[in-house]
Amino acid sequence: MKNKRFNLLLIIVVTLVSLWSLWPTWRDYSLSKQINGFGSAQDSLKYALSHREEIEEARKKSLKLGLDLRGGMHLVMEVDQVDLFEQKAWNKDPKFIAIMQAVRASAARSDARIIDLLLAEFKKDNIRLSRYFYDIRNSDQEIVSKLEKESVDALSRAKEIIRNRIDQYGVAEPVITTQGSRKIIIELPGVSDENRVRNLLKGTAKLEFRLLREPEVMVRTLDRINSFLVQNSTVPKVSPVPDSSSVAAASLPGSEKVAQAGMSTASNPLYDVVGLSQNGTAYTSERTREYVLSLLRRSDIQALLPMDSELLFAAKPDIGKGGEKLYTIYLVKKGPELTGGVITEAKATFGSQGVQPEVLMSMNTEGTSKWARITGANIGKRIAIVLDGVVYSAPVVQSKIPNGNSVINGIESLEEAKDLEIVLKAGALPAPVRITEERSVGPSLGADYIRAGIQSLAWAFFAVSVFMLVYYKKAGIAANIALVLNILIVLSVLAGFNASLSLPGIAGIVLTIGMAVDANVLIYERIREELAEGKGVLAAVTQGYDRAFSSILDSHVTTLSAAFLLYTYGIGPIQGFAVTLMIGTSASLFTAIVVTREIFHLLLAKNLMTEKSFG
Amino acid sequence: MRIFQRTSFNFIKHRKIAYGFSIILLVAGMLSLAIKGLNYGIDFRGGSEVVIRFEKNADVGQIRSVLDAAGVSGTLKQYGMDRSFLFSTVFQGDTGQLKSLVSNALHERIKGNPHEIVRIDAVGPSIASDLKWSAIKALLASLLAILLYVGIRFEIKFATTGVIAIFHDILTVLGLFSILGGLFSFMPLEMDQSIIAAFLTIAGYSITDTVVVYDRIRERIRGQKPSEYERIFNESMNQTLSRTIITSGTVLLSVFVLFIFAGPAIRGFAFAVFAGIIIGTYSSIFVAAPLVYDWLHLTKSSVRLRGSKTA
Repeated sequence: MKNKRFNLLLIIVVTLVSLWSLWPTWRDYSLSKQINGFGSAQDSLKYALSHREEIEEARKKSLKLGLDLRGGMHLVMEVDQVDLFEQKAWNKDPKFIAIMQAVRASAARSDARIIDLLLAEFKKDNIRLSRYFYDIRNSDQEIVSKLEKESVDALSRAKEIIRNRIDQYGVAEPVITTQGSRKIIIELPGVSDENRVRNLLKGTAKLEFRLLREPEVMVRTLDRINSFLVQNSTVPKVSPVPDSSSVAAASLPGSEKVAQAGMSTASNPLYDVVGLSQNGTAYTSERTREYVLSLLRRSDIQALLPMDSELLFAAKPDIGKGGEKLYTIYLVKKGPELTGGVITEAKATFGSQGVQPEVLMSMNTEGTSKWARITGANIGKRIAIVLDGVVYSAPVVQSKIPNGNSVINGIESLEEAKDLEIVLKAGALPAPVRITEERSVGPSLGADYIRAGIQSLAWAFFAVSVFMLVYYKKAGIAANIALVLNILIVLSVLAGFNASLSLPGIAGIVLTIGMAVDANVLIYERIREELAEGKGVLAAVTQGYDRAFSSILDSHVTTLSAAFLLYTYGIGPIQGFAVTLMIGTSASLFTAIVVTREIFHLLLAKNLMTEKSFG
Repeated sequence: MRIFQRTSFNFIKHRKIAYGFSIILLVAGMLSLAIKGLNYGIDFRGGSEVVIRFEKNADVGQIRSVLDAAGVSGTLKQYGMDRSFLFSTVFQGDTGQLKSLVSNALHERIKGNPHEIVRIDAVGPSIASDLKWSAIKALLASLLAILLYVGIRFEIKFATTGVIAIFHDILTVLGLFSILGGLFSFMPLEMDQSIIAAFLTIAGYSITDTVVVYDRIRERIRGQKPSEYERIFNESMNQTLSRTIITSGTVLLSVFVLFIFAGPAIRGFAFAVFAGIIIGTYSSIFVAAPLVYDWLHLTKSSVRLRGSKTA
């Protein structure tokens, strides 16, 4: 008798806890219905403001919908470990650069860990890692573990910076997690401007102040490259698109050299695609930009540049006379004078004329004194402001700047300036990241999914419960009550643990509806057998539950273990399915066995059960 | 109401017919797998997919030619029922660019029928191979777990044949996916993550049905002579026939609802589970238990069972 009372109490407690856990969801639903129900927007706003606390409280604790149902973005980003390790090396000779290139190439082909690939490449050439990394006395193993630690640190730093950026941008309830040693998973519900978010996330935000080389040096360098290309007959055709080369050359205005080049195309391969104005500024048109980039990346061309220098492109094109977009090319010193680490504050605003958006930056004390020294020593020279490898502007230093202020201009829109402000404030990523997986669902499809999900739930419940009623009569009612409680438990556990409900999750619940009654079917069939053997109702019920238990347990354990493994190895949407299936299956052990049994006991005590009650 | 009450089918006698049927199904599936292969979704092959929905009915050929003219190469298919199309192409790191390219082309060339890009998925090649590996790991681990569990609860012969039955079910469904893949526009039957979820569900459920039959055999076989085994196996299977079919029936009902109502994203999954449960129910009666019988028969051993005390 005591045991029976305990079961009844347990059922009541479970039901109450489930209802309590789902109460905020109901409140949230009815409140938002009420807000949308007002005739005018003003009334809605007024109501929303007066009930703000209640609304927020309900929303916080209510059942969350997954990305696919709400609409939003799911991104997987990978930290470029090759780049990270490259940064850690301190004696980068050509040999090292060649090895790293090989590592990069093999990383693109295989899924092995980058650190293993790195080690293998160095082993192949019989070079110890300590020649380039950390201390010369370190063994390979020590360096590998140091680099591994470095990449774990980099990943968590990258995650924090990305979180900062997203928080500054403003997304409600973002979920950012790391997976393995180089992946960051980002879930952004309800994001509408995907393009902007993507740009915000993928930039490294590495800000550098770099000294520009003298214009004469630039001209000499270009001349050298040009004559190298002339001599080097292995370059058969200069331009990727033969007929566009002359067009490009002709359309680069204000350049005597280009005019000459136009006359003798074959003799000046570089000046066909690169224009040079009288003041020593080099530029290329939008069409030839990619080609020039690939040309300048070649190692034989790189060797022609002056010591400790590199060529960088402008971030944004200038509009030439003919309406052509022209990108300026800068020759800058390789080592930065100052980096973005010193930036403490950034602010997007409009410039002095009030039309050009720009970003004002201020520096910490260390940066301020350095900046004052650098500007003081380079008056009359140009300093390029480089962000992620492209030059935003290269102003001439007019005077020493003592207060640590600097400005980025050459920005197209205020929106872009705002995004720059965000990334500069959040800080630079330790290494470049790239997007390797992206799934985005628009809100209208999400609404469709919700409708489809609710329809499936309703129809599945209807079909299964009608079947149970028809097939098992009164006993079917008990099974259906258990089924309702089962669904309630699944939803309340999801809400209580702040897990979100996705479309695969709903599929899991629908499947659970079909599987949860299985335990009842097993029990009822057994009871029917016992009844057929001529046992009394009470004895048949008791025996039925006892004897069916072993197969119920076995089947639940196997389903649970499959769902658990699915959860462990699956990702994102599939995990949602696995979670609801696990909760549903465990709950059905309780509802199908304890709850229905208790109902039968109650009915039996009141003499409401006969042999006919089992259909 | 009762279905299959007091049946007395001689399952064991006719088991060879069932073996033959299973082998034909499996061989057909394997042949199709070898020749035609599987239709991999972007989860496993990498790539980008765009789902475009139009306001009014649109012609596939027209959209295809518009996208071709815009220089976006890929394949375009009807997606689901409602004026939606699925455009798939190679992996694009920048889905924004892909989106604007598709969107601009359609906007300019197909007038008077506005469209909306409702979903974009892009999976890089490295992720795709990661996903493939974890899928294989999950499947193998679940089979091992089931083998262990049933081995402990029953004995190794029951466990092994149970796992063989699971293999049978999953391979048959895989074969079906290969044979039927791409034949129906309302269900492309692509191999993706959700199909792996379906396989694990099938594995878990297939053993459920099998265990119900095993449980009855275990309950009745204790202390019996090997010469009685044929009768006991047959009787046990007949006694559990009704519950085996009804338990599968309720699950089939709800999976059928999923197939009809849950939309194209779930359809492949629902089809796999539906087929898997039918085959799983069949195999628990016609494959798993007869195999145990054959094994016992051939080795002339009697059963030493564990854990049947609860019965």
